[in-house]
Amino acid sequence: MNFKTSAALLVAASILSISAGAAYAQTELKVYISSQHQPDLWRQALDKYEASNPDVKVVIETGGNTSEAQAQYLNTVMTAKDSSLDVLILDIVRPAQFAAAGWTSPFTEVDMSAYLPAYADANTVDGKVIALPAFADAQFLYYRTDLLEKYNISPPSTWEDLRQAASVIKEQENNPDLQGVSFVGKAIEGANCTFLVPYWSQGQELVTDGKLTFDHDAAVNALSLWKGMIDDGTAKANIAEVATDDVRKDFQAGNAIFAVNWSYAWAQAQGPESAVAGKVGVVPVPRMEGGEPTTCLGGWEWSVSAYSTHQEEAHDLVKYLASPEVSKFMAINGALLPTYGDLYTDPEVTAAAPWFANAKAVVETAKPRPVTPRYNEVSEVIRTTVNAVMAGVSTPEEGADLIESRLSRILR
Amino acid sequence: MRSSAISASPVDSLLSGTPLRLIVGLILLTNGFFPALWILFTSLKLEPELTQQPITWLPSDPTIQNYVQAFSDQPLGLFLFNSFAVALLSTALTLLVSVLAAYALARLNLRYRGLILSLIIAVSTFPLVTLLVPLFEIMRALNLLNSWTALVLPYTVLSLPICTLMLVSFFEGIPRDLENAAMIDGCTRIGALFKVVVPLAAPGVFTAGILAFVNAWDEFLLALSFNSSPNLRTLPVGIQLYQGEFTFPWPVISAALVVGIVPVAILIVIFQERVVSGLTSGGIKG
Amino acid sequence: MTMTGSTKSSRTIDGNVTPWWVRYFDPSDRALAVLLLAPAAVLLAMIIVYPVCRLIYTSFFNLSLTSGLPAEFVGFENFQFMLEDPVFWQTTGNTVLITFVTVPGALVVGLALALMANLPFRRQWPVRLSLLIPWALPLSFAGLIFAWFFHSEYGVVNDVLGRFGVEPIIWFNSPQWAMAAICLTIIWKTSSFMALIILAGLQTIPRSLYEAADVDGAGRIRQFFEITLPLLKPSIVVALIFRTITALQTFDIPYMMTNGGPGTSTATLAMYIHQNTVSFLDLGYGSALAVVMFALSMCVTAVYLRMIRTKG
Repeated sequence: MNFKTSAALLVAASILSISAGAAYAQTELKVYISSQHQPDLWRQALDKYEASNPDVKVVIETGGNTSEAQAQYLNTVMTAKDSSLDVLILDIVRPAQFAAAGWTSPFTEVDMSAYLPAYADANTVDGKVIALPAFADAQFLYYRTDLLEKYNISPPSTWEDLRQAASVIKEQENNPDLQGVSFVGKAIEGANCTFLVPYWSQGQELVTDGKLTFDHDAAVNALSLWKGMIDDGTAKANIAEVATDDVRKDFQAGNAIFAVNWSYAWAQAQGPESAVAGKVGVVPVPRMEGGEPTTCLGGWEWSVSAYSTHQEEAHDLVKYLASPEVSKFMAINGALLPTYGDLYTDPEVTAAAPWFANAKAVVETAKPRPVTPRYNEVSEVIRTTVNAVMAGVSTPEEGADLIESRLSRILR
Repeated sequence: MRSSAISASPVDSLLSGTPLRLIVGLILLTNGFFPALWILFTSLKLEPELTQQPITWLPSDPTIQNYVQAFSDQPLGLFLFNSFAVALLSTALTLLVSVLAAYALARLNLRYRGLILSLIIAVSTFPLVTLLVPLFEIMRALNLLNSWTALVLPYTVLSLPICTLMLVSFFEGIPRDLENAAMIDGCTRIGALFKVVVPLAAPGVFTAGILAFVNAWDEFLLALSFNSSPNLRTLPVGIQLYQGEFTFPWPVISAALVVGIVPVAILIVIFQERVVSGLTSGGIKG
Repeated sequence: MTMTGSTKSSRTIDGNVTPWWVRYFDPSDRALAVLLLAPAAVLLAMIIVYPVCRLIYTSFFNLSLTSGLPAEFVGFENFQFMLEDPVFWQTTGNTVLITFVTVPGALVVGLALALMANLPFRRQWPVRLSLLIPWALPLSFAGLIFAWFFHSEYGVVNDVLGRFGVEPIIWFNSPQWAMAAICLTIIWKTSSFMALIILAGLQTIPRSLYEAADVDGAGRIRQFFEITLPLLKPSIVVALIFRTITALQTFDIPYMMTNGGPGTSTATLAMYIHQNTVSFLDLGYGSALAVVMFALSMCVTAVYLRMIRTKG
């Protein structure tokens, strides 16, 4: 359409002045990266690729900063069968959906055993490799080393330990603003992990081979755990309003003894603007009494759009982006957890991020969220229910009933 | 509006004392301006001041840093440009289409005039959100997703009913004699429409234009769903992008909001009387 | 009706400016009407009529883009599913609740604002602007701004309440308070338009009516209920119906303020339609939900059309 082309021209000319020229015989690949994922750093990695592959030019498109917003954007583009994007970064929960919808073109002849096992699993759907890991992530328990040392308490390994430690410290410190533990209670993607981690810790799975394997008691226990901590004052009353970055802010401001958060919070908690710099420790997320330690697997994956007109070049680029070389580069410069096990103990990596040495054990116990093409619906059910229970709108029992009845419809 | 100075309602004399009038005036102004002012104050504060307890009202150390960041974090200028382009194009199209339709309804003796007017009113009440899926499919089939046209067409339809109704009532207020005189002078009806009727109804056309512009400027849902490509985002969609994966930077979002409010506010300040008369006279007459 | 107007236009027409085709192209009323209404008809057909047909058609299919399966005709299954879907009932209930609270709310506040704005202020423009700004502010912006207003820790609402000794309210943590915050925001956003319309009505009421009432010894309050309100009725009714229809479509403000939370306790039907189509890509069910909403809107519109017809 005329509008479309003239719009694009005008935009290019008047505002963006997108890297003009470069219209000679080159393959141009468009890579979609969320602007939260340090596009500048990926740019450096891409520059290296361009240098060794002069016939390929890579353009970054950023957008959709939350996982939900990103999903919405890609849903629009992919349902429109738009061929403008070649390479996409996907949240770890999406490969199954993209595979079912036929939106990605799978990889052949890739050795997935080189990656951490959880990432090999998460990216393989029905025996096909849908995407390759970009970087790893997991939830950790952050704690205040200074406060625990002061009262001679060791980092908790169960939630009961945490509760007792918090009550001792809170009582002694006598600071009304100090929370025992901060975690996500708001109805965002992260709230799924709030539910799943204690649920899994009781040895239960939510979805097995695409079928619901719901354990009602385990779900009630998981929801009661958090609700109990709100009721006894370990967590703050308005936890249902708390999103991921609020957890980070509260901890960083010195207002939380413990916090459940992703790896990104480390650099900021130790940064110059932090009130707790130098007083931060990281251990695995506590387990349920008598349960096993586990945590929520995070991270993002590189995939090739099925509608890309440069399939071969795009696959080659993704193989590079998911290579040990780039994983190491991003670990050193961007503090992104590597997807290759041996990089966690690589001297250059540990020099840049010493705590990675301990992180590997945590990432290895991490479990992927349910693998299903209808993940968006599963996620919506869990996170709104967690939010409702945290806000006191439903009891843990009602919450478990609701999750069971709604999920059983979705995962028939 | 001017006439209000001389007209009187019972409350007038009830509250004629000056201090009372002052209080009433303050209530009105607070109600109208406070939210926008508050967001302006917020945009001049930095994060530490914002999360301070108790909260501060006026910024203790006003800074434009949030504005700088609003423009550097996201292509805010581009969002503005897209919003203007889409709003102006749809306004122009709305005016053209509704002037033609309104003239037919106001001047030609149509047998189904009542029915057509009812249909137009029915359309004006249409929940656009319900059409999200089919419209999306149409735009996709016409290869219009991620283009200005994908928004210009629905926005035109969004404002078409109200603008047409408004213009019908304006056109009806113009004496037919003038038009007939023009036609006796050898002008066609269409000629008379554009040379006599439209210029005389200029205030109405203008007001309809402002309505169409504001409608298009405000729309969020379709823009969010159809134009998600970075180069084509409009302002209401773009403002969402300041929200990070884990963060919600209120000061920067406030700065972006202020930037988004200013153009419409200027329009309203300049043309306030016309907007009011258009909204209240033409707009709601069935 | 000025002389200059007519002489000016006839002069331009008398000259040789008029192209030949315009002079010869002078169709009959009927043909002209078709010609003039055609652009509007084409646009409406494309953006409204065809999509509505398409919507009704899709609502009878099981079409989910995440399943990777082709569309399958399922009759009324989507509608049956709706009856058992607790979220459908909740979002519909919320939509109805918002309508029943904010429409009368906006009317009362709008009436109060109009009566206040009708005082003989020395300068009219600040008053006028104070009614226009809320109207012109995008709904999505209003949602964001008020989300910040009602923030439990840094919001100005709790700050003001605190000054009167009220404990801070965690607005978005409870369904009741969250709904209250949403309704207050909607009332703020929509009452000023209501006020503008009522104000215009107020200014057409002749002063002589009040003077006559004064002579009869009627009090101010009686005058308000016996003169002002009855005369305002026509403009109020029209404004109310428009408001009702837009209230049924509420999307932007709750989307921005709570995104439906806590749980799904403040989600509206429009949000649920959007979620099913854009996030879940369940086009069949999304269409069925949309058909229901469409039917709801049309009922209100039918009432409106009947009132206009009886009015003349």
